[in-house]
Amino acid sequence: MNVTLIDSPVANTANIARALRAAGATLEITHDADAIARASKLVLPGVGSFIAARTWLADTHIDNAIDAAVKNTAFLLGICVGHQLLFDLSYEHGTTRGLGLVEGEVQRFDGPLPVPQIGWNRVRAGGPLFAGVEEEAFYFVNSYAARAARDEIATADYNGPFTAAVQRGRVFGVQFHPEKSSAAGLHVLRNFVACN
Amino acid sequence: MQLIPSLDLLDGRVVRLTHGDFASARDYGEPEAVLDALDVPRGTRLHVVDLEASRSGRPIETGIVERLAKRDLVVQVGGGIRSLDDARRWLDCGAERLVVGTVAATSPQLLAELVETFGTHRIVPAVDVRDGVIRTDGWERSSSASLRDVFARIETLGVGEALVTDISKDGALRGPSFALYRELRALTRVRIIASGGVSTASDVVSLARLGNVSGCVIGKALLERRIDLADALARVITPNAIPERIIPCLDVRDGRVVKGVAFTNIRDAGDPVECAMRYEAEGADELVILDISATDRASASDRASTTSLDTVRRVADSIFIPLTVGGGVRSVDDFRALLRAGADRVAVNTAALRRPALIEECATEFGVQAVVLSCDAANGFATVRSGKEQTTVDAVQWCAEGERRGAGEILLTSVDRDGTNRGFDVELLRAVTAVLKIGVIASGGAGTLEHFRDAVESGGARAVLAASLFHDRVLSVGDVKRYLSAEGIPVR
Repeated sequence: MNVTLIDSPVANTANIARALRAAGATLEITHDADAIARASKLVLPGVGSFIAARTWLADTHIDNAIDAAVKNTAFLLGICVGHQLLFDLSYEHGTTRGLGLVEGEVQRFDGPLPVPQIGWNRVRAGGPLFAGVEEEAFYFVNSYAARAARDEIATADYNGPFTAAVQRGRVFGVQFHPEKSSAAGLHVLRNFVACN
Repeated sequence: MQLIPSLDLLDGRVVRLTHGDFASARDYGEPEAVLDALDVPRGTRLHVVDLEASRSGRPIETGIVERLAKRDLVVQVGGGIRSLDDARRWLDCGAERLVVGTVAATSPQLLAELVETFGTHRIVPAVDVRDGVIRTDGWERSSSASLRDVFARIETLGVGEALVTDISKDGALRGPSFALYRELRALTRVRIIASGGVSTASDVVSLARLGNVSGCVIGKALLERRIDLADALARVITPNAIPERIIPCLDVRDGRVVKGVAFTNIRDAGDPVECAMRYEAEGADELVILDISATDRASASDRASTTSLDTVRRVADSIFIPLTVGGGVRSVDDFRALLRAGADRVAVNTAALRRPALIEECATEFGVQAVVLSCDAANGFATVRSGKEQTTVDAVQWCAEGERRGAGEILLTSVDRDGTNRGFDVELLRAVTAVLKIGVIASGGAGTLEHFRDAVESGGARAVLAASLFHDRVLSVGDVKRYLSAEGIPVR
């Protein structure tokens, strides 16, 4: 299956590319807005700060290209900060608008456990993206997350429950790193690569 | 599991004894002032011990219990309850439950009468143990009754909960007696309120994981502010939410995995990529590569370390779990080179000890999640150059400084234990995990399955690392995970 991986400078593109290939994807890795707008299956990776990633999307007009692709019935998977970018809003360093493809806000973890969360966490999930891995641990690295998002399909607990994954129609997002989550992570990517 | 703050009363004041010795009493002030200072919420179950009563055998501090009960606290009182009249006296003051110690071991008849008169839910038999032997009368006498007999008696009476104190642990802040509570789990269905030695939030979590512990009395650790009640409560709600990690370590020299004892006597242990793939298949949660020859070189980006960057690249390309790399990282540039080669996190050690600002620089540039401070401790001090050279820097203080400067996790290796298979240095781990909020990876000394358990359960480690044990196939990662899971420690 053909998958277009958005080649962001604020992402670990190489790792995700390797994992997607292992999950059966034939990859096009690009930051060309036109190619992204035409894609039928997109992956938006991201690490580091929400603002840096959002700014890059705006500067390159890739935000509009993603919008166009999704309106044109493309599948989209956001990973980590790429997942956070799908939401309406993030409160990381002030307030920044996201892509608004799923409802909700991204907030800082607060509580007794250290932030960032670094490590494996148990996820309870449902829906086609998690078929076969409904109760597995996945690898997270994050200081921010959405809580009780309306389009939530998976939850985990860290200083209270948070949204581990979302789905709204053909738009998916996972807060964890499937490319670092061993067999369970590859399973999720395989499900995404196979969906149609 | 309930967290039960404990107030030991003597002459109207809150005090603490060490090992039950009255001469060692330390004063903490008036009970109400102590509770206010600790932010004990309304509705909390409180454990109050009338020390003088436990020695003299008659209720003394009844006025205080009356005052506390009126403050919306659920008070359980212990100390010197040796008759129905004593019991009635405390209940009339507003006590919710009565903790009866001496009678549980010495007067089964009276215990039965107390339960019959006041109800099973009002009586909490207390069993004080030192070295497996039950103690009575303010811990000053030993009893001939066995644990098995006493708990059989308690079970027969229909009482569901008993307070068990390991006196040798009490007030010592060295951790509770997990072994004793585990022994009781096999012995009785009675739920245990654990008491004695609880000194960190991890202790509370580990007790909750045992499964038979329904409550935990916290005294000195709370009074001395080693445990924050709200934090511990939040962590204990979901004690099994986050899996603890098992991390095989590849010590690499010149592109080969090697292993030595106490950092010397190096021998070959295989190809890094083959090892890495095998460990992921066995269920490893993460891999660590330490370039043990790199520290003596000028820089990891030197020509000499092309081999190690290449090793990192080859390993990173063959696994789908996180990879932490350390050894010879001197600068932000070295750090970046390893991240680019495929490391998810980089461990700094010698260079950070020589110039601690390196930790901040890397945390600012790459994020806290990428920075691991590796501390090789020998005799309580941090060492440099793969353990070859001891510094005057206290290992515990250095780890705390690492956290303040922006390390996301600590890799704590006991040089003394490394390669010996004698077990992790649990005391060192406790000392470090007690003062840190970030996670600690235990390293050095793994030899048996129990060692892994103890590092997590008593040491408070959030991850456990081993090398030769896995290389030599003495144990597999899967063996360790199955064992920990059976012991109630969550793993992936």
